[in-house]
Amino acid sequence: MLIQENLSVQEKLKILTDAAKYDVACTSSGVSRGGKNGYMGNAEASGICHSFSADGRCISLLKILYTNQCIYDCKYCINRCSNDVVRTSFTPDEVCKLTMEFYQRNYIEGLFLSSGILYSADYTMDQIFQTLWKLRRELRFNGYIHVKAIPGADPALIEQVGYLADRMSVNLELPTAEGLRNLAPGKTRDKILKPMRQIQRGIAKQMEQEGILLPEQGKGHRMISTGEAEGKLPSDGSGLPSFGGDGTVPNDRSRVQSLSGERRPAPVRWGVAEEKAGYSTGPKLRLGRSRYGTYGISRVSGKRDYFVPAGQSTQMIVGATPENDFQMLTVAEALYRNFGMKRVFYSAYVSVNEDSALPILPGGPPLLREHRLYQADWLMRYYGFDAGELLSERQPNFNLFLDPKCDWALRHLGQFPVEVNRAGYETLLRVPGMGVKSVGRIVTARKTGVLTFADLKKMGVVLKRAQYFITCSGKLMNPVRIDQDYITSQLLGDERRKAWDIQHKDSYRQLSLFDDMHLEGAGIDLPS
Amino acid sequence: MTVYVCEDSFDGILCGVYDAWMSRKGHDHVRLEIGGTGDMELFCEYAPVPVLPEKTEKVISSIRRKISERVYKKVYTASLSQEPGRADIIYRFLIDGFRYGEGVLSMLHLPSVFELFRLCRFVLNESHLLKEFARFSRTEEGLLVSRIGPKNDVLPMLALHFADRLPSENWMIYDENRERAVLHPADGEWFLVRANDREWMMGLDWKTDEEEYQAMWKMFCQTIAIPERKNYVCQRNHLPLRYRPYMTEFQG
Repeated sequence: MLIQENLSVQEKLKILTDAAKYDVACTSSGVSRGGKNGYMGNAEASGICHSFSADGRCISLLKILYTNQCIYDCKYCINRCSNDVVRTSFTPDEVCKLTMEFYQRNYIEGLFLSSGILYSADYTMDQIFQTLWKLRRELRFNGYIHVKAIPGADPALIEQVGYLADRMSVNLELPTAEGLRNLAPGKTRDKILKPMRQIQRGIAKQMEQEGILLPEQGKGHRMISTGEAEGKLPSDGSGLPSFGGDGTVPNDRSRVQSLSGERRPAPVRWGVAEEKAGYSTGPKLRLGRSRYGTYGISRVSGKRDYFVPAGQSTQMIVGATPENDFQMLTVAEALYRNFGMKRVFYSAYVSVNEDSALPILPGGPPLLREHRLYQADWLMRYYGFDAGELLSERQPNFNLFLDPKCDWALRHLGQFPVEVNRAGYETLLRVPGMGVKSVGRIVTARKTGVLTFADLKKMGVVLKRAQYFITCSGKLMNPVRIDQDYITSQLLGDERRKAWDIQHKDSYRQLSLFDDMHLEGAGIDLPS
Repeated sequence: MTVYVCEDSFDGILCGVYDAWMSRKGHDHVRLEIGGTGDMELFCEYAPVPVLPEKTEKVISSIRRKISERVYKKVYTASLSQEPGRADIIYRFLIDGFRYGEGVLSMLHLPSVFELFRLCRFVLNESHLLKEFARFSRTEEGLLVSRIGPKNDVLPMLALHFADRLPSENWMIYDENRERAVLHPADGEWFLVRANDREWMMGLDWKTDEEEYQAMWKMFCQTIAIPERKNYVCQRNHLPLRYRPYMTEFQG
């Protein structure tokens, strides 16, 4: 393959930005680090977006590929080796200079370095290491760095990079091993999961050294002590569910049992009662925290190096292979539970290559599906839902017209309405129209007074949705029937418009005097 | 009704609080107002509030001692708000604050608390957005200059953020709406200056030689967008139009 050496930095930046844009993760969150004299930069735990591009996605980091040259031929990827595109590569110096100059102008929050595979995984990882080392040590850059671990690279190299970066990620790309086999011939699931596991162990080890407790054993992550867990943790894919052809989870009977809510024992309220009934709800929810805990150091002093303090993330493509939403969500849940992921990102498949193995998407990327997956992802992390509560084998895909939480609530009307002034935090979180913030406010405010609907409105509760599911001092807001069909029809009007907007944007037509499609349809000949 | 007319500053508002409280006319018979905002009313007595450091000190120390440090921070944040009625909102909040103590922060159903939190939310949100959207350009002398046009007086908050972020750079941020600037010498302490202080404001007129990186940044922002997903409504929700005139990627 021909690599263009004599391009200017501008031209390289254009090519390598264009090649990197399909990577969705651009977060700069998860670590807070103060600045220090002589260094440039700091990091805020909440993350800082610096701009928003025309597609509405945030621009937080300088998201570039080190090179768009690649030895693999993944069918969905714009940089696959069989594509005829201009190939180029940065040098470590160029990446460092760009990062520093952009950073001091407050354009970016840091660097997001990904790469195609140049020559070999080891060579590429080494180039990335050189870049990061220069940036951190020579140029004294103290901002955020997100870097990809290249599957197949020497673990020693990955570890060294981990001490320079804030967040690392390995893309799972496709939720099933089968999908991966079909679309990414050069990759195998084991090869992808190996660095993931390595990074997870590294983070756990670091947390142990810092004396930070990992989430409780048996209630989320499987491992506590790295030394002890070394033997137990397989480096292959057994941390993830494997699916049969019909989308079932064959090897795990107990799981399937707990997935279908109807078969659960009598006390169906959430929380303590459920644990007693033998139904594992996973880790207990804490106000405004992810239920899978913080897997990463998060707050660092800047005096020493820490191994991937902002945790690791991964990404899956939505809609390139025939997996259903239930499979995607189950895999995501397993990634959170067993691999200590900070985030799983979903990327609606954008058709960039023509290939017989790839779907044709005439309606554009499956944006609504991606949106529903993100909604469900949040429900799993911050609202205490299990994948099996939101979807099941019988209902494997999300309702296009209702968000997952409304959908769940309508299927479980027996548990509503709940009393705002008394219900527990976990119960309130399950009410449609209430979010982590508003529930937090309610829980604080009701300690000192009795809340009314007017108070709730002020606290940010969306009463349009919530009113069917809550009472204040024993009264509903309006006298409505708690009836599935009635409430569904009330909720639908609003949701349907939003869903339509997401899937069909820019489809409005400007009225025009001279070009009227209805006239043509009516068989009237127009003078041309 | 007596209206206490305060100077437009944190100290001014606190002096107003002191005067209104110590007048012993009863909370229902006094009101605070920032000078120059709002119309005069009939049947009101207007009392200008002189700014005296000892009054400010007294109010600050009783807030910190009798209520809490957190409440003091909230009050300061609210004083940076653009809302014309902020002085009275702070006064009403402090009445409840001195009555209930620190616990007042969780009494969101009280109108005074809700109002104060509303002000704080706007100030904090805008200062967070400006941490994101402020853009510097480098002058030939090596000074990084940024211009902003915020609704609230977020300059002190931005100063804290950027002093931590760029400790070893010379930079200044200029608030066009208030004609104030914050200056930060490399490895030094930042300070606020007014626009009439010409000596400090020279930096604003210095020429910037920026074309190379500005062009690359604009190109980056255009290239990173996926055309198949374009969604201007989403972009506008996250990045309101009023910030764009100050941002490199939307200029020219």
